[in-house]
Amino acid sequence: MSALLELSEVSVSIGRAALLERISLRLEPGHILGLVGESGSGKSLTAMAAMGLLPLIGGRVTGGTVRFDGQDIAAMTDGQRRALRGRRIGFVTQNPMTALDPVQRIGAQIDVVSRLHLGLSRQAARARTLDLLTQLRIPEAAAVAEAWPHQLSGGMKQRIVIAMALAGDPDLIVADEPTTALDVTVQAQIIQILGALVRERGLALLLITHDMGVVAQICDRVAVLYAGRLAEENAVDPIFAAPAHPYTRALIGCIPQEGMARGSLHGIPGAVPGALQFPPGCRFHPRCPQASALCRATVPPLTPHGAGIAACHHLSVEAR
Amino acid sequence: MTPPPLIRIEALTRRFETGGGFLKRPRTMMAVQDVSLSIARGEVVGVVGESGCGKSTLARLVLRLLEPTSGRVLLGDSELTALPPAALRAARKRMAMVFQDPYSSLDPRYSLAEVLAEPFVVQRRALPSGAVAAMLAAVGLPETLATSHPHQLSGGQRQRVGIARALALEPEFLVLDEPTASLDVSIQAQIIDLLADLRDRLGLTYLFISHDLGLVRYFCDRIVVMYLGAVVEVLPHADAAPRHPYTRALIDSGFAPDPARRRTIAPLTGEIPSPFALPPGCAFAGRCPRATDRCRTDRPALGGDAAHPVACFHPH
Repeated sequence: MSALLELSEVSVSIGRAALLERISLRLEPGHILGLVGESGSGKSLTAMAAMGLLPLIGGRVTGGTVRFDGQDIAAMTDGQRRALRGRRIGFVTQNPMTALDPVQRIGAQIDVVSRLHLGLSRQAARARTLDLLTQLRIPEAAAVAEAWPHQLSGGMKQRIVIAMALAGDPDLIVADEPTTALDVTVQAQIIQILGALVRERGLALLLITHDMGVVAQICDRVAVLYAGRLAEENAVDPIFAAPAHPYTRALIGCIPQEGMARGSLHGIPGAVPGALQFPPGCRFHPRCPQASALCRATVPPLTPHGAGIAACHHLSVEAR
Repeated sequence: MTPPPLIRIEALTRRFETGGGFLKRPRTMMAVQDVSLSIARGEVVGVVGESGCGKSTLARLVLRLLEPTSGRVLLGDSELTALPPAALRAARKRMAMVFQDPYSSLDPRYSLAEVLAEPFVVQRRALPSGAVAAMLAAVGLPETLATSHPHQLSGGQRQRVGIARALALEPEFLVLDEPTASLDVSIQAQIIDLLADLRDRLGLTYLFISHDLGLVRYFCDRIVVMYLGAVVEVLPHADAAPRHPYTRALIDSGFAPDPARRRTIAPLTGEIPSPFALPPGCAFAGRCPRATDRCRTDRPALGGDAAHPVACFHPH
């Protein structure tokens, strides 16, 4: 199947800081790609690059291409890129409290998307809005459309943000930590809704999250980023059953699980380095239990590993 | 004979009144309702619940950073909730709090040495020589950071400073209010390791507040589950089978990091009721799959097995 979204060796800088280095990703329609890593690993920046939004934060692509449905987005005009966002790419932000305009009624904020991108009339846009709200299992959709953002709970607001992302009838949803600000019972609802949208409508979902539980629950493939580089990319089952990269293993090992004895939870020592202090060689080596002299000196290349790829000098030793 | 508990919380209640004005009746919000709990010396008790369940209010009431509407808190023999200001200040040496957000709980203008000296200033005590270095070392930070300011530190380092500050006066009891909620999981695990180690080394007692049941089950000896200001269940140990439908729902909402254990999520329907207008019966009845007519009219009291009390007419 041809990819809906394809990043080929994309590098990104802001000022003199080279923040992303040769990131390659593919996402097909009807699939969910999870983008994971600690804060500062480059997850959100990758998403911004995928949507052509880097200029907003003063960033620029210094190498590689981003293709959406076969088209190079760097070759598009600003107008074409704007038409792409909202119409073909919907965006769900982390914090629904700040994503909505506090002085506009809910319905009007959703209506405007389909009026702008689909050219619908006022009435048709409202009908579509109510339909979307009902599909997202919002009770009393008509009353909610007349409400103000401050009258809704966090989980309800996040569903409104998802409705806005869907209003332009997109092919791709980019969701940046969509459940991080929510309570667990509400998170479960939102994750179920996102999963169902992909399965029922054949959407593609690029899901940025730090929560490996969420990844295991709904993703098809997983890309693990560390300090601006791809550490590993693979289908979800091998990522968890036989993680190739020590960083992936460490991330999974950080999660408290049922029946775990006290003292068996281990963090990753140290912290993600800043962009101006990236160490030479493998960027993970200062925190890696398996680091050797080779890791400290030479950047490990991305090499095929099962159904995926990984960048580690010690892959052959670890792989089964 | 079991030793007396270090902390006794008795029928603690806190209401907030808001919105009163000309011709406008104030509205009353039940933040914490009739909570009783004892904590033994050396124990780690977890309090878990979603936003608005009253867990942070409870944390502040226990340290008397907030005054209760009714009820009492005892630290050993001294009744914290009845102490006059001077005696309360003296008692504060014995307890401390670690806050959720290490970005806003440290003064950006203070160096770490100043942050760590502050508790001594408040207590009008001389700072022992070498104390700052020792405090930093106790939480795994190098002495060279003493002259650094908070903005030069990572989130995990800041939270270590927050813990070091809480330990400055050698307290017996710490309230930890979501100490890892704003950190990456990799850093969260480091901080939890550190807290476990400090407890063993210094014989500390913790009240650990969190929204993350998985984390609480990993770290705590006993677990108090709160919903809308009230305790709905106390799990006697981490592996105890939950009996309250809400505790079940909390566990079922978490996802295991294992695609082999994917499952259909049966999400809770409905929303959490407003704490300004609690329903007359069980506060959870509107979202509960087991609710009957009785649950909607009568409020179940926390009871049953004294070691594993639950507030439910139809427990599992």
